[in-house]
Amino acid sequence: MSDAAAPTRRFRGADNLPNWRNGLFILPFLIVYLGLLVYPLLWGMWISFQQYDMFDKSATFAGLTNFTNLADDPIFRGVVRNTFVFVALTVPTFVVIGFALALALNRPTRSAAILRAVFFGASVLSVTIVTIIWKMMYLPGRGLISLFIGLFGLAPISFLTSANLALPAVAATTVWWIIGLPMMLFLAALQQIPPELYEAAALDNAGRWRTLWSITLPSIMRTFIVVVIYEIVAQFQLFGQALLLTQGGPNNTSRPIVLFIYETGFRDWNLGYAAAASEVLFFLMAIAAMLQYLASRRSETH
Amino acid sequence: MSAIELDRVSKTFGPVEVIRDLSLQINSGEFVAFLGASGCGKTTLLRMIAGLETLNGGEIRIGGRRIDSLPPGARGVAMVFQHYALYPHMTIRENMAFGLKNIGVDRAVIDARVAEAARILEIEPLLERKPGQLSGGQRQRVAIGRALVKKPEAFLFDEPLSNLDAALRVRTRVELARLHQQTRATTIFVTHDQVEAMTLAERIIVMNAGKIEQIGAPMRIYSRPATEFVARFVGSPSMNFLPVDIDRAGDNVALTLAGGSTLATHIASKSLPANGTFRLGIRAEAVRIDPQGLVPGKIEVVERLGDRTHLHTRLADGSTIIAEDVGASRAASGDAIKLRLDPAEAHLFDDKGAAFHAQEAP
Amino acid sequence: MAARGMVGKTWGDRIVLGAVIALAILWIVPIAWVLALSFKANSELMMSTSSVLHPPYTFKNYADVMATSGVFHWFVNSIVVSGTATFLTLALASLAGYGFSRTEFRGRDILFVFVLLGLAVPEQAVIIARHQLFTDWKLHNTYLALIMPGLSNAFGVFLMTQYFRSIPKDIDEAAMLDNASRFKIFWRVLLPLTIPAQATLGIFTFLLYWNDYLWPLISATRPEMFTLTVGIASTQTNFAQSEGLGFLMAQAIFAGLPVFIVYLFFQKYIVQAVAGAAVR
Repeated sequence: MSDAAAPTRRFRGADNLPNWRNGLFILPFLIVYLGLLVYPLLWGMWISFQQYDMFDKSATFAGLTNFTNLADDPIFRGVVRNTFVFVALTVPTFVVIGFALALALNRPTRSAAILRAVFFGASVLSVTIVTIIWKMMYLPGRGLISLFIGLFGLAPISFLTSANLALPAVAATTVWWIIGLPMMLFLAALQQIPPELYEAAALDNAGRWRTLWSITLPSIMRTFIVVVIYEIVAQFQLFGQALLLTQGGPNNTSRPIVLFIYETGFRDWNLGYAAAASEVLFFLMAIAAMLQYLASRRSETH
Repeated sequence: MSAIELDRVSKTFGPVEVIRDLSLQINSGEFVAFLGASGCGKTTLLRMIAGLETLNGGEIRIGGRRIDSLPPGARGVAMVFQHYALYPHMTIRENMAFGLKNIGVDRAVIDARVAEAARILEIEPLLERKPGQLSGGQRQRVAIGRALVKKPEAFLFDEPLSNLDAALRVRTRVELARLHQQTRATTIFVTHDQVEAMTLAERIIVMNAGKIEQIGAPMRIYSRPATEFVARFVGSPSMNFLPVDIDRAGDNVALTLAGGSTLATHIASKSLPANGTFRLGIRAEAVRIDPQGLVPGKIEVVERLGDRTHLHTRLADGSTIIAEDVGASRAASGDAIKLRLDPAEAHLFDDKGAAFHAQEAP
Repeated sequence: MAARGMVGKTWGDRIVLGAVIALAILWIVPIAWVLALSFKANSELMMSTSSVLHPPYTFKNYADVMATSGVFHWFVNSIVVSGTATFLTLALASLAGYGFSRTEFRGRDILFVFVLLGLAVPEQAVIIARHQLFTDWKLHNTYLALIMPGLSNAFGVFLMTQYFRSIPKDIDEAAMLDNASRFKIFWRVLLPLTIPAQATLGIFTFLLYWNDYLWPLISATRPEMFTLTVGIASTQTNFAQSEGLGFLMAQAIFAGLPVFIVYLFFQKYIVQAVAGAAVR
């Protein structure tokens, strides 16, 4: 009859009841998570309330001193301002160019695929390779840009050592580097618009611009917001390009917050001060993330 | 094969009591159907027997052994899922062997059982393929095969035919009936389709809102439905219901229809409660065109099914009744006709839905 | 542009396409420039870089890179770190994803939210403490230090949980009736069905580690532990006065080549992985 009916203890199968043993599946990750994210996060906050002595590595509790010092520190204030300026330079550029490219290349042809690959390809390179390329571009006298300007008989401009041009130069490099990502995000959103909408618009004799304005843009509003907020959060974390292209100069004009943290913490070993700066950065980014959450919820109810 | 006992079983989902105090006995080797509309609890009940849902009260026993605290695999049941739930990345052979391998059955025994099941279900050429390469009907057979090889104490089917197209459904019904004759396995078959229940089951358990409305053999349920719900649910077209006045004067109840016509019944007068309003329940096949019939009406819609014809007729008082005529009926929409209602097939239903039937022949 | 229903190519279409092609050429120019420079002798470049426009061209820079550069060593370090980290990430994320989505245990949902919150924490908020942690344990300049911190990234867990959730549950139930243990359901039934998600997560994680700069910079401070990214950065000092521009360019090309080749072959997956990660 049913000789396979009653499995022995060793071969007993699972049921779908709650069982603490099921928690073992998440345990390995949880251990790493607690040890290398949660603990350092809390410890970092603790460090930000300490003042570290560079020489004997001792720490004294200092309350909010680090934070008030940061607020009074003209370099830090400048650094925050630089970061905001950088975000203001790059994010609109990402959005506009990324969207334009997505629109233009939203076709199934092979040439479009190749062009998309070109724009996205730069983003798989590491920041250090990108900065070598662009240092070579910006090099006064011998860089490609200088050579190009020289064709018109103009004197070479040293972008990276110019107080006004350093940050924009870093921004230009960044746009070149990562334009592919916003382009792809917009592309994915465009491809989710049902073709029937366009067909209806065509039947209604809607012209190009009207179609763009009334149909395309509203449909991708959610992605639009996601891209904007994602880029804001990402560009707030500017580091590698600034360190390698300009070292934050000249005169701190291109020093972003993360570079400040790096130098304060790992060059000057002023750990408490650096930790405080990182908390400020975290705070700014948490606000941006919150906005993303709220904005995506809001657009969902539309 | 074993008998299945449900003893005062209940189940709540959150604040809702889906199944309340349900008791049921299924005999060894019997083929029963849980029949009801969606949400009535039939699938929940099946899953509770399988071990995929917990009980909030009561016990379940299979072959006398209490199983409601055992994991699904230890209960000695096998289930055929509505969407088959085959393992997509394994071959058919591996799909069927998986359960036996998990309990350490001998390789030779597994191979023998898989071969036998494949032979019975005629899926031998498919053994090395993957589920994605099979048609819906083939997948269903594999699902049954997966259950067969386990040689369980009971088979549980969860609406297995609902994903098949109409023709395949009919064919598979017949095959399932043959399979049961061969294996004589205790089987529970959940369905919302009363045709499937009627044709396959030895006993039907009609469920409604978590309670059992009636248990009985198919013909019993058909000819003597215990409640109005069962009367409406089983049989196609649905039973006709008409408001009537009662005359208890004689041994058997006499009815007066709304239009004035009278109908004698074989229902004992003393079996009815003293008060209340009643309705006549009579199936279409007991309502026929007869020039000497007592109930006049006008045909509105004619449905020709080939082997019979349904006449949707409006009576004098405005209510409609479905009458049945032969397939070659000459009736047409608009005809004024006279209907004869068979007194032996008249049922009465009170306002709580309880049914009263003709006395049974001893 | 976007109105696919429109028939025929108009002049507007052609202008747009032309503009995009021009922009694409502009995009390639920097790389082409560096590539060209890598084929010129260092001495010529010291005098004038416009010498790139005419021969002689040479492979000497590349030969020098292969002979003397630390590129190979850095490359090996990067492979070890990225490869191991990717494998571990897939393992941890798959296990946790299964646990969160297919099993029941007390506190499961709370723990999931707790883990999800980690997505909002940027690297900079934890890096100082992390660095101190590894300093205290004397673990800097090890593969362990380069691999471990990134494993706490909750993104993988999130991705795998979502993917597991998309698999119909009746397959688990069939396996339970088949007497499979919890782990067996994971290993033999569900995990093989997650290959697409594994590919996406694997590529994303590999790229993330490969291109990581800040953490390897402060943790792998000895040259023998440099990853490719850090190593290339270390060559960038004194760029303007450098006598070995050609060599530097060849080295950069060398470093970028592996990723580029991988990109050519796996472009679709890479785009999917990175874009998917951004939208979360």
